[in-house]
Amino acid sequence: MIAISVQKQLLSGGGEMSLDVSLNFKRGSFTAVKGKSGVGKTSLLRMIAGLMTPDKGKIKVFNETWFNSWSKENLSIQKRSLGYVFQDYALFPNMSVFENLKFALHKTDDKQIVNDILEVMELGSLQHVKPDKLSGGQKQRVALARALVRKPEILLLDEPLAALDVEIRQKLQDYIVDAHKEFDLTTVMVTHDTGEILRMADKLVIIENGKVIKQGSPSTILAQRSISGKFQFTGEVISIETEDVVNIVSVLVGNELIKVVVDQNETSTLSIGDKVLVASKAFNPIIQKI
Amino acid sequence: MNTLTGNITSVETNGSLSLVKVTVGTNEVIAIVIDTPETAPFLTTENNVKVIFKETEVVLATSEYDGISMQNQLSGVIEAIEQGVLLSKVVVQTDTTSISSIITTKALKKLNLKVGSQATALIKTNEIMLSE
Repeated sequence: MIAISVQKQLLSGGGEMSLDVSLNFKRGSFTAVKGKSGVGKTSLLRMIAGLMTPDKGKIKVFNETWFNSWSKENLSIQKRSLGYVFQDYALFPNMSVFENLKFALHKTDDKQIVNDILEVMELGSLQHVKPDKLSGGQKQRVALARALVRKPEILLLDEPLAALDVEIRQKLQDYIVDAHKEFDLTTVMVTHDTGEILRMADKLVIIENGKVIKQGSPSTILAQRSISGKFQFTGEVISIETEDVVNIVSVLVGNELIKVVVDQNETSTLSIGDKVLVASKAFNPIIQKI
Repeated sequence: MNTLTGNITSVETNGSLSLVKVTVGTNEVIAIVIDTPETAPFLTTENNVKVIFKETEVVLATSEYDGISMQNQLSGVIEAIEQGVLLSKVVVQTDTTSISSIITTKALKKLNLKVGSQATALIKTNEIMLSE
């Protein structure tokens, strides 16, 4: 169990804000942290990483104390077993992919891990390339690979996919989930993307003004319980086609493409890429064994 | 999507199902939902709710029918028709609200529906969703 309880006075856009957060993360869990900008999500990750010192509090990671303001313990960043991936990839431009990964290792670490991770992340063929020759998605894969070479216990992701387009984002989501399982990580990811949360996380924490206002299962928190239709999904609009007096809207729900017939007046407010709730009554669908 | 607003006049619950009556203007709309006042607290008498159903689930008739299982029958006058090749959209103005229906163009022609003519919109109870 990772137990965090931290307090810190922060300066945000709206003036001073007191961050006061207590959270527990189970080993192997994947937690998404959601909230408006400036509510303290990144500060929380920075405090876990040791890049920011809490005013007061405790951070305990699987029986090892990383921070305790009362006993004045504060483990240095280098000694904290974690990987950190930011929205901007922060790769060393003068080093190849392989060198970027090797640089993250300790002198005493086994170099073989670099090759193993290059293989898992399917970066083998790019290992001698410098970052400026890589696409955004590839750079973020390298940043993720680099965060993993020291076999961290915790992986911290701060909106890692926000700058990428939809298709690449979905591939990267798969890479992150695979790495999370393969390396038995405990992952904490800051994100705004509902689809991303539902696809990747097993727990969701919502932060507002420096405080946790909700936490629990992502589907329970995100599901709109205010409409009685029992057949509800969230998805993304892929295409809108006009047929006769109706429009046919194609929606990507998970990995499945579904189609919904919609009145033309309603589609005027819809655009491709929009997140939508698709709802129907439980009376309509049929079930067939396959 | 047709969205009407009304007030709940009764909720009859059996197990996890509820039959909810909603008064919309001078009409009464009945919906069956897999919810109870316990699972969906907004399902209480006198509460204001939205009554939601698809245009494609609205059957049109030239008059009201007794010998039919569809309990929701809202009569009015046809306000607009948009004719397509296979499908057409018909808007029926009832006393308080308009209801859109999408039917086949063949049916539109067979019933000889015109703007200004009388029509009744029929909706099955299980096609209606309720929302706060």
